Amino acid sequence: MTNTLVSGRASRRDILRIAATSTVGIALSGPLLAETANVFAAVTSSGPLRSAGVLTFGPDNVLFVGDITGAAVHAFALRDKDLTPQTGVELGNFRNFEGRDFVRGLDQKLAALLGTTYDKIVVNDMVVHQPTEQIFLSVERGRGADALPAIVKVNHGELEVFELDGIPHSQVRIPNEPDQKAMLEFDTQRSFAITDVKYYKGEIFVTGVSNQRFASTLHRIPYPFNSQMATSTVEIWHPVHGEFETRAPIIRQLIREVHGEPYLFAVYGCTPLVRFPLASLKDGTHVRGDVIGELGYGSNPLDMLTFTDPFDQKEYLLVTIDSRAASRIAVFDLVTSKAEPTGGPIDFGPGGLGKTQGLLPIRAEHLAVLNSKWAVQVWRHPKTGYRLDISSLALPYCFERRDGMSEMNWPDGPDPFHYRDHRNEIDYVGRLVS
Amino acid sequence: MNTEAQNQPTLMIDVDTCQPGCGLVDVQNVDADVIAALRRSGQPNHLLESVLRVRVVGAELTGSEKLPDVFGRRQISENGVRFFPHFPFEPGVVYRATFDTRPLGRTEVSELLKLEFSLPKPRSALLTEVQRIFPSSDCLPENLLRFYVVFSNSMQRGRAEAEIVLLGPDGEPAPDTLYRAPVELWDRGMRCLTILLDPGRLKRGVGPNRQLGPPLRAGQVYTLVVGAGMLDSSGRRLGKTFYKHFRVTEAVREHIAVERWKIVPPVTKSRQPLVLMFPRALDRALIADTIRIASTDGQLIDGRVVIDQCERRLSFIPTSSWAAGSYHVRVAPSLEDVCGNNVEAAFERPLRSASDLPYEASVRSIGFHLP
Repeated sequence: MTNTLVSGRASRRDILRIAATSTVGIALSGPLLAETANVFAAVTSSGPLRSAGVLTFGPDNVLFVGDITGAAVHAFALRDKDLTPQTGVELGNFRNFEGRDFVRGLDQKLAALLGTTYDKIVVNDMVVHQPTEQIFLSVERGRGADALPAIVKVNHGELEVFELDGIPHSQVRIPNEPDQKAMLEFDTQRSFAITDVKYYKGEIFVTGVSNQRFASTLHRIPYPFNSQMATSTVEIWHPVHGEFETRAPIIRQLIREVHGEPYLFAVYGCTPLVRFPLASLKDGTHVRGDVIGELGYGSNPLDMLTFTDPFDQKEYLLVTIDSRAASRIAVFDLVTSKAEPTGGPIDFGPGGLGKTQGLLPIRAEHLAVLNSKWAVQVWRHPKTGYRLDISSLALPYCFERRDGMSEMNWPDGPDPFHYRDHRNEIDYVGRLVS
Repeated sequence: MNTEAQNQPTLMIDVDTCQPGCGLVDVQNVDADVIAALRRSGQPNHLLESVLRVRVVGAELTGSEKLPDVFGRRQISENGVRFFPHFPFEPGVVYRATFDTRPLGRTEVSELLKLEFSLPKPRSALLTEVQRIFPSSDCLPENLLRFYVVFSNSMQRGRAEAEIVLLGPDGEPAPDTLYRAPVELWDRGMRCLTILLDPGRLKRGVGPNRQLGPPLRAGQVYTLVVGAGMLDSSGRRLGKTFYKHFRVTEAVREHIAVERWKIVPPVTKSRQPLVLMFPRALDRALIADTIRIASTDGQLIDGRVVIDQCERRLSFIPTSSWAAGSYHVRVAPSLEDVCGNNVEAAFERPLRSASDLPYEASVRSIGFHLP
């Protein structure tokens, strides 16, 4: 290492003047010169975010972000220049169940981009913008109280850190505990882990888990946010066997209209899948929903979404689950299925609602619908301990032919499904074969 | 004294020691022609991005994938360029900064600079440990809902499922007893972790309860183990594994009857504590959050709260001495005991006939009078 001091300059910064050779640097000790002190104010920039969790899009390109550390839900009104249509991105061969990798080594690339090692990268959620089909990720660098949040966009296979400064922004504090006069609850150690945010017709619906109270609170908040608004807090309980009613945090929710009526479907942490007519979720009430199924013990729902099957044109609910295969249920059955009968057993499959259920071997950590034929997943490569990839999955079965080894994959193997005849039918964003 | 020419460019890392991790990469004494060429290159300035680059050293993808550079902002000044990373440089990570004017078509060797650096990680001498686990008692009810694990330092998330285990009466891990939350339930400062027992097994009649039974059995002894593999905020393991042994007693399935609390009022004009005694242990976090003392006109009394006797006693020590008069102990309905029963109702309450009911948010009040 060459340390040089040029005479006449007393600055301590000169300790690290290095020319043309590499060396392991050392940090300076001691106070920084005043002239550069103000420079560091601009170093970090996550805009108003203190953490980046669940993501969902609202109308007019509004991106909602759940921020657990900041105890808020943010709304960023994306401008045209913030979005890039992903036209031309290769999706894969739908007929032959072949997806494509959009980003290989997502965690390693995010680590390189954010100046860290792959083990410090956490991908919290993924959402797809329509109609650009651009993928947005919420990411954190670090796993401690000082973790740094970022929203990252995928643009034709490249990762772009989304700079949030300057984007029209509003936010609402969550949780919004019911006003209790003369009960100042100021314990700063309380935290509320926002598990889901969904938008429906002028409101956002926020669910989560407190680290203290065991509560079923659902927050309904009008959007656009304004300081005058009243947010509704609903305790949504579920019945058990016609005998009890209990509360539990809601992990995932979905709002769907069926025959013109909107319903909220909630997956609880203690496993039941419960249905509520949205109209019943009024401010300041305890509402009991109908239990229509159970997820099974030891399972956490990861994503809950609906899609239209490109073959039968029916709508299906898809719930990906961390400990086993995903569940697929016709949305029509969700609405028409009977509530758990009094005293009888309830099943999420193979009985009860699960009679119409399909099990899909999806290993995604995050899943979202891209377009009418394709979904996109973030999944962990089976051969390495850490590599995360983003790739496409053909709907409705979400089956990826590359994942299974069979003789049909060999160039001279048997071809009973005529994959080779259709090998050139490639879909692209903006250009689907059929 | 080295007489290296004063007009050769220099590449440095500039660190603000008052804010750990804040640093920038600074190139000075850059030739004016280079500055001019960089300034001409419009926005986004890809030329500048290729001339001044910072990369993380060490990780490279196999195959043809390339890793991106560290994302950040660059600034051109009169005689130099600077790189500000989007996120602060992380202590312990090795970075390589390069300044290379070859993309501009220049061939000066002195304009080929490389610097590898890393910022030191501050480390305290003491290893982090589990300070305590609530509930404090070593006799816990069969339908216990949650533990709070308090660490001596701020922690990292991600290891709870692997490191925190409930051992059954046989000393072996009792499977499917602890709830795997979708997000680890840390408090704001990440020193206190909430561990829930599986609510699906606690709730009578719900699927997991029907299949596996309740998580704990009365009369048996269990151990909650917090493994030393938990990582603190500086990435270090705990000093040692922590064990909490406990015996299981009968389930508690009733609401918190505030009217059965015992109040020991203080002496008027003293600063003696007001003491509340609870027939059974309450939830440590929620006690502090939901109980307040107020005078009759509704003014909250300032003071300090001490909770002891295994969360069965609360002592409130006022900041000023007690004036004579009437007071209220105000209890929010969200106060829970260790089983999740709250002031309103038990954890599992009997099904009521109406399907929606008004939200019972009324505060309970116990009066006492100081003559």
